[in-house]
Amino acid sequence: MNDPLRREEKKESSPDHKDGGPSRPDVSRPGRDDLLKRMKKVDPKQSEKYKQRTGQ
Amino acid sequence: MNSTVPLLGLETEYGIIREDLADSDPVEESMALLKRCEQKSVFKCWAYNRERTHLDMRGFTVSHLAQDEEEDEFCAEDRKRSYSYWEMKSDRVLTNGARFYNDHTHPEYSTPECASVMDLIAHDLAGEHIVRECVRLRNQDLDGAPLQVFKNNTDYSGHSYGTHDNYLIPRRLDFDVWIRNLVPFLITRQLYAGSGKVGFEGKSEPFTGLQLSQRSDFIETVLSIETMTQRPIVNTRDEPHATPDRFRRLHLILGDANMSPYATALKVGVTRLVLTLIGEEKLAPPPDLADPVDDVKRISRDRTGTVALKRQEGGTISALEIQEWYLEQVHQNKGVFEDTAERDWVLNEWERTLNDLRHHPEKLADRIDWAIKESLFMDFLKSEGLTWDDPLMQSLDLEYHNLDLERGLFNGLVESGEVVTLVPPRDVETAVDHAPENTRAHIRGQMVGQERDNIRSIHWTGVEFTNGEYLDLTDIVHPQDVEAVLNSNKELFACK
Repeated sequence: MNDPLRREEKKESSPDHKDGGPSRPDVSRPGRDDLLKRMKKVDPKQSEKYKQRTGQ
Repeated sequence: MNSTVPLLGLETEYGIIREDLADSDPVEESMALLKRCEQKSVFKCWAYNRERTHLDMRGFTVSHLAQDEEEDEFCAEDRKRSYSYWEMKSDRVLTNGARFYNDHTHPEYSTPECASVMDLIAHDLAGEHIVRECVRLRNQDLDGAPLQVFKNNTDYSGHSYGTHDNYLIPRRLDFDVWIRNLVPFLITRQLYAGSGKVGFEGKSEPFTGLQLSQRSDFIETVLSIETMTQRPIVNTRDEPHATPDRFRRLHLILGDANMSPYATALKVGVTRLVLTLIGEEKLAPPPDLADPVDDVKRISRDRTGTVALKRQEGGTISALEIQEWYLEQVHQNKGVFEDTAERDWVLNEWERTLNDLRHHPEKLADRIDWAIKESLFMDFLKSEGLTWDDPLMQSLDLEYHNLDLERGLFNGLVESGEVVTLVPPRDVETAVDHAPENTRAHIRGQMVGQERDNIRSIHWTGVEFTNGEYLDLTDIVHPQDVEAVLNSNKELFACK
């Protein structure tokens, strides 16, 4: 698990290796509509109810 | 392999809530979560007597660490509970060398010591996996899914909890040297390390919209040993967990919990490069800022990286220009670094990210948390006709960090292939049970696996056995040290 480039070569999603960075994800965003639907289901009061105690 | 900054570690405090209860009790819920952990582990044996949390890098010891009045009141109530402090902490040390316990009412996963950035990412994700599995088991007991856990740093009401990045660095340089060289870098790395936050908290100027960082509203001073109040740019706790006359542990508490593993890798990888330059005394004097504490918030509220920051010698400089200055320093001194794939990856990605921020910021939306949120939330605002100050936006912001694969928004983006994942799932699966083989975590993990019934106490720096023997790991820093311990204790480490 020591070679980051080895990991990139094995990445499942696609093409752009020209710049040596990780491969670029699918930019057609087929799941974006599903995600927007998921977002509509979020309780608008969720963050208000989410009370935590101070940590470090 | 980096001999100047040989070890890295991440500590992540998770937020926790029972959605079916009007008054969710984080102490009870965190304990119940830890009890549900099925990972092979040493339980409730953490050696608290080996902790040195009150010693300050500036050469003094504080009598106590502070917390705010509200937390004082909570702690007074905690003392009336029917169980002990040790039970509340519920410490576990796992076969992968990690520590998993309750820290100030938050489940915390501390990765094992890692020698490479990519190992650290695998272990950070392994922590998410382990916590998520505990949540699943706990919810099974509760017959539903009322327990939810979040990898973030705020409850949007002024309560923050930390994600700390740790680096073992040489002791030989004065602490002042590290501070002088680090502060401009640290306050500007949020350009790519910020995980984004809708709105603002605390005493600072009101703000509407998305800021770069979750934690920036909570940074109040340059240096402090405190972690729960007066949070600093650089924490001064002097607890190296290694030979004290050779090493310091740089304990950074200003960072965010990143959902994007790419962002975590860039944050830790770039910080390590800069620390290496400082440790090798190759860094030129960096731009000196007149007001770095206020600048933390100023930078967080400008998603272009171009807001003008006052310099001590007059004039201004932007956050992006500061990061570009450090990048140029690394380029100029490339020979200082060992020639590794990690160095090249971090350098290339740092440059690409700063370049994208300057010229094509929309390209960051596949890998930098705040930019992912910006893209996703802007789509939502547009489709629903909402504005940033709608209460739903903070709830969506929170849900981005939900570990639940069915609910969490970042996890939804992973599922649809819209974000960089960086580490193959099989590496994460391996990290759930196995420590990196080239750090002392390997020895600790092996002892947990083999000898857990014979362990009296355990700590980052050693293992005490019930027969009175002690395996001291204080000096085990480099891979050759690990090898030497394994070779000199062949009977102990023989597979049983």
